[in-house]
This record gives sequence, structure tokens and C-alpha cells, in this order.
Amino acid sequence: MNKIILIAVSIFILFSLSCKEKLPLDKDLTKKSYNLINQEGEEVVFPEIIKGQITVMGFIFTHCPDICPMTTHNMYLTEKELKKANINEVKFIALSFDPDRDSPEVLKKFAEIRELDFNSWTLLTGKRTTVYELLKRFDVKAIKTDESVDEEGNSEYSMMHTDRISLIDENGRLRKNYKGSTLNVEELVNDIKTLKD
Amino acid sequence: MNALLAILFVLFPSDDNIKIKDAWMRPSSEKMSTALYFVIENKSETADTLFQVDSDLAERVEIHETYSEGEMMGMRKVDFIVIEGKSTFELKPGAHHIMLMKLKKDINDGDKGEFVLHFKQAGDINVTAITKKPK
Repeated sequence: MNKIILIAVSIFILFSLSCKEKLPLDKDLTKKSYNLINQEGEEVVFPEIIKGQITVMGFIFTHCPDICPMTTHNMYLTEKELKKANINEVKFIALSFDPDRDSPEVLKKFAEIRELDFNSWTLLTGKRTTVYELLKRFDVKAIKTDESVDEEGNSEYSMMHTDRISLIDENGRLRKNYKGSTLNVEELVNDIKTLKD
Repeated sequence: MNALLAILFVLFPSDDNIKIKDAWMRPSSEKMSTALYFVIENKSETADTLFQVDSDLAERVEIHETYSEGEMMGMRKVDFIVIEGKSTFELKPGAHHIMLMKLKKDINDGDKGEFVLHFKQAGDINVTAITKKPK
């Protein structure tokens, strides 16, 4: 009997270590709420909108021509791969760190032209202070660069930012960070499968 | 603008030493930005320089590069790209690209865009790029 218990405990420890290695983070994101606005202009609260769902969260600004479209596309490819594996309950969030320009309308157009499915995708913007408080929870940084003013007096700038996609489990805990623009889609899909097991 | 580009093309015909291949852009919407990517093949023994790109598709067109500092990534304008003799230079995601700012219209999957690439040696080369999602 003792042998059986010992084997069971060993298997449990090995499984836990393996999981810890694959998903090295365990940061509770549920302790504070953030009032944000989705692509429809509706007020939503993070993390309530992801409650009970495994979530893939990307950090973007829509004026970005190269890195953020790569990040968004990698999330899109992840969703496609998950659907192939009959995993349909994963939530996809894109949080803009450029709320001054990324209005709900701009985010919606950004999503539509990339054929993102609003049944699983939510794009978020909000008050600058709130957005940047939330970014801090993820250790994501974003700063304006090359700022200038155009002929019509509009501010023009690019942004230097953390290149990030994050995986959150169904209990609202941050479990792993990935480089967004060069994501290994297979790795993220496998990590999601690990969370579901 | 198209007429001007056509005149420039007649005055400065393209040079066979420079070949442009696989020109494509990401889908994007009016007033926003996107990137143009392509491969430059320099068949000549001598280096050539891409110093300007024009298009009616966007209000501003600039040569850019993506760079990283630790976990942070950003983009910056570069004045030119040198393509060494007998070499190939690829403008690709996460690296050098042509940044199209303030698009004049939506560009969707399958849409085409016309560009003129200005080289110091080869002169002006007209390029048609297709809009597509990368695989």
C-alpha cells in the first residue's frame, strides 16, 4: 500500500515539476480590476472579461506597421491551430498601449481588416492611466519615439515597446510570456493544451 | 502624380542589374500604416543604393528598420539601404521594410499597389506589390 502511495506522490511531483518548467510564471492578476473600453465602445472590466477562460493576451498599437501586425497575426494563427485541435474556448485579447490614437472605432477596423472573430477576440483601450497601470502588471513597457506634429497639428509618433504575448490560465493567473512578433505558435498551442489537461 | 512617375520612368529606365522579387504588403486600413516587403537582387559587380520609394497609396513612404533593445522593439527611419554587388537584400518582417504612413484607402487581401523604387545606379524601378496575410 505504502509503495502505491509513494509511486502516486512521485508521479504527482514529476507532473508538477514538468508543468512548472513549461509554465514558469504564476502571477495572480485577479487582485485588482481595470475599467477599459472594448472595440464596440462598451465599458468592460479586466480581468472579469476573461473570467474562467484560458486567455492569450497581446500588446499592440494599431499604427505599428511591422511588429504589432506580426504579433496579432501570430495570435490569429494560434487560434487557427487551436480550432484544428478542436479547442474553441480560448479567449484572445489585444490591449492597445496607444489609447490616445486607438479609439474603439480604430481598434474595430484594425480587427475587421484582419478578419479577427469577435466571438473570441476583444480589443481593448481606455484611459491612459488605467491602461498603463495594467501594462505594469504584465511588465510591459511602451514609450513614444520620433514624435512630431503634422501640418494639421496632429501628433505623430512611433512607439518602442515590449514585444509580448502572455498566456493566462482560467483562474486569472499569468503563466507564461512569449515574444509576440516571433512567437513559436506550436509552443503556445502546446502550453494551452497543458493548461487544459 | 502617376503621370510624373511615368515620365520619371521613361527618363530613367530600369536597370536589369537590379531585380525586385516577391513584393507584398500586409492588409491595413485607410489613415493607418502598413509595411511593404520585397527582395532586391543585385546582379552587378558593384554596390547599389535604394534611397527613396514613392507611391500614391500613402501620404508618406519611408525606408525603415525594426530594431530591438532587450525585450523592447521599435522602428526608425533609415536614409538608404546599400545592396552589395552580387548579393541579395531582403526587406522582411521584423527587419528593414518600407513604411507606408496614412494610407489613402483600405488595402485588403489580394489588392495591388504600385511603387517606384529609386536606386542610385539602377535608376527607377516600378514594382507592383500584392496585399496578403503572411502564412
